[in-house]
Amino acid sequence: MSSIQINNVTKRFGDFTAVEDLSLDIQEGEFVALLGPSGCGKTTTMNMIAGLEDISEGSILFDGQDLSSTRIQDRNIGFVFQNYAIFTHLSVYKNLSYGLEVKKIDKSAIDSRVRAMADRMSITHRLDQKASSLSVNEMQKLAIGRSAIVEPRIFLLDEPLSNLDASFRAYMRTELKVLQHELGQTMIYVTHDQIEAMSLADKIAIIDEGKLMQYGSPLDIYNSPNNRFVAHFIGSPRMNLIDGELRQEADQLKLIISGGAEIALQGQIKSDFTSDGRVHSGSFGIRPQDIYFGDKRSSSDIEMKGTVDVLERVGPKRIAHLQVSETSFIAFDDQDQLKLGDEVPFYLASDKSMAFDVASGRRLGVI
Amino acid sequence: MTDTIKQPENSPANLKKQGYWAGVARDGQKMGFWFILPTLLLLLFIVVFPLFMQLYLSVTWWTPLEGIPWYRAWEVFSWGDNYVYQFTDERVRGAIWRTILIMIVAVPAQFFLGLSLAYLFMDNFPGRKFFYSLMLTPMMIVPAVVGLMFYLLFQGTGPVNAHLGLPSTFSWLTDVNRAMISIIIADVWQWTPLMFLILLAGMLGVPTDQLLAARLLGGSNWQNFLKIILPRMKAVIMIALVLRAVECFKIFDLIYIMTKGGPGVQTETISVFLYKMTFGEFEWSYVAALGLTILFVLSVIAAKGLAYIAKKDV
Repeated sequence: MSSIQINNVTKRFGDFTAVEDLSLDIQEGEFVALLGPSGCGKTTTMNMIAGLEDISEGSILFDGQDLSSTRIQDRNIGFVFQNYAIFTHLSVYKNLSYGLEVKKIDKSAIDSRVRAMADRMSITHRLDQKASSLSVNEMQKLAIGRSAIVEPRIFLLDEPLSNLDASFRAYMRTELKVLQHELGQTMIYVTHDQIEAMSLADKIAIIDEGKLMQYGSPLDIYNSPNNRFVAHFIGSPRMNLIDGELRQEADQLKLIISGGAEIALQGQIKSDFTSDGRVHSGSFGIRPQDIYFGDKRSSSDIEMKGTVDVLERVGPKRIAHLQVSETSFIAFDDQDQLKLGDEVPFYLASDKSMAFDVASGRRLGVI
Repeated sequence: MTDTIKQPENSPANLKKQGYWAGVARDGQKMGFWFILPTLLLLLFIVVFPLFMQLYLSVTWWTPLEGIPWYRAWEVFSWGDNYVYQFTDERVRGAIWRTILIMIVAVPAQFFLGLSLAYLFMDNFPGRKFFYSLMLTPMMIVPAVVGLMFYLLFQGTGPVNAHLGLPSTFSWLTDVNRAMISIIIADVWQWTPLMFLILLAGMLGVPTDQLLAARLLGGSNWQNFLKIILPRMKAVIMIALVLRAVECFKIFDLIYIMTKGGPGVQTETISVFLYKMTFGEFEWSYVAALGLTILFVLSVIAAKGLAYIAKKDV
């Protein structure tokens, strides 16, 4: 078990920069998810941590120790591949024992450890069978067990749940969390699925185009995204991000959005937008659950009027698409009273709204 | 069970029942037959006919020297005498022993060289493509030319002696022991590339992430090679070995050009012996019997090897 410090790491493949100036501090025993869209450089980052890729610039320290000149086989890093990389020509037992056998550990010690791990992963009944006969779900367990049995200093998982069926994925999510707790392992988990990242990780590193967008606890990232990308990427349904031109009229600050409609900025959000005087086009962000209907709850909330364009049912709730001139706001219709085509008033909770600079994507105001 | 369920007209099960040609019109079938007929006749003429002719001659005393046409060979019918005699023939025994000697020395040598080279080529070193092409050239050269090359190399005044600092009286090809060594060296040189090619293909078939996983689990290169790469290559290794082993029985050009089977009969392998019997002694019926026996033995070996491969579920 160890902590990992990633210091200003850059990785280039020829002219292409896959990872740029990335720094992360991962504490001992922490579960960190690297989250980002496909091709964002998260797998490259993980491969660099594992030593499968060389680092172009910067350094990665394990407990303050640089392992870049240590051979892969001596690094003692647990790695679960996306397709598991099970040794299909060997038995399940031999798969589990591989990491111990190559260290020339005493046979009886190997046997007891293999049996304990098989028991932990509930694949004992499969021990003597060929690994190629396992189901995908069992392969997943075997892959994790095979890495865990050698007690690696850190544990890397590359999209380990993406090949599983939905119900087993939910089960395995819980299982991974329990396992991480039991092993007390530092785990790094690569995924493009925000639900996995949100439910598993102690901390999430959001990466886009090779750059670190934000690093923090799931709640932090959800509640106060650093920039427009994170705000857009995290949350389902996605945050409403409404771009427009800022205009000062008398003592009223307005955001003129596409189609000419106006958002009259008040309260906290108004000062957020004005915190940087040079910004002229802003992006107004608000999560669907922070849009409400009925009575105004706070004097600073912003009143809007829109037409109900689409209604989708998601479980017990309905999602309403509210058309305001050319812009669509997504909101939860929690009272189940909206009808298609209705023109309804709704409110944007000012203290939950966020302001971003359109040009740089940076969050304005707070932080 | 399946009979009770009505299968759609063109389901694989139905097609199998009616034969794969079921969907094709009768005319089409006939036309297909006419298309393959010329090739069929050719095959009949060059494979089946000689085989039966050989079988026929092998049970007679027929030789082209006696003036009887071959189809009247029954006049000198010999029953199985040729087949019995070959087992007591010292020269046959010697030739087979020398063939096997080449096989048990040259094939393992080619195998280990090919395997090491293949492992080397798993890495992406600079110039890999160039060396890869270079590696394969010996295989492309006509065996007779290879024979000539090594014939020249191993001359008393040739480059081998010159480089090793040996006197020109030190002979390779006319020495009782060294003649065989020279031939084995030439054969290894020519056929290691084929071994290399087959083994490299097998080695590249080992999934990369399994190799990575094995390394990450702490296995040394040697351990991973023994436990992951080799076991996964079993079928390919078997193919390569059987192929080369069987080919050893056909080795001729090299030996004929380098030593003509000499000195004496010291490098006379079974194929060289067969050649000499055919065109030197004209013992055609005997050659026919011996040839058929070898064909039979080799077929059994190859069949066993292939059965072994088929059993492996790789």
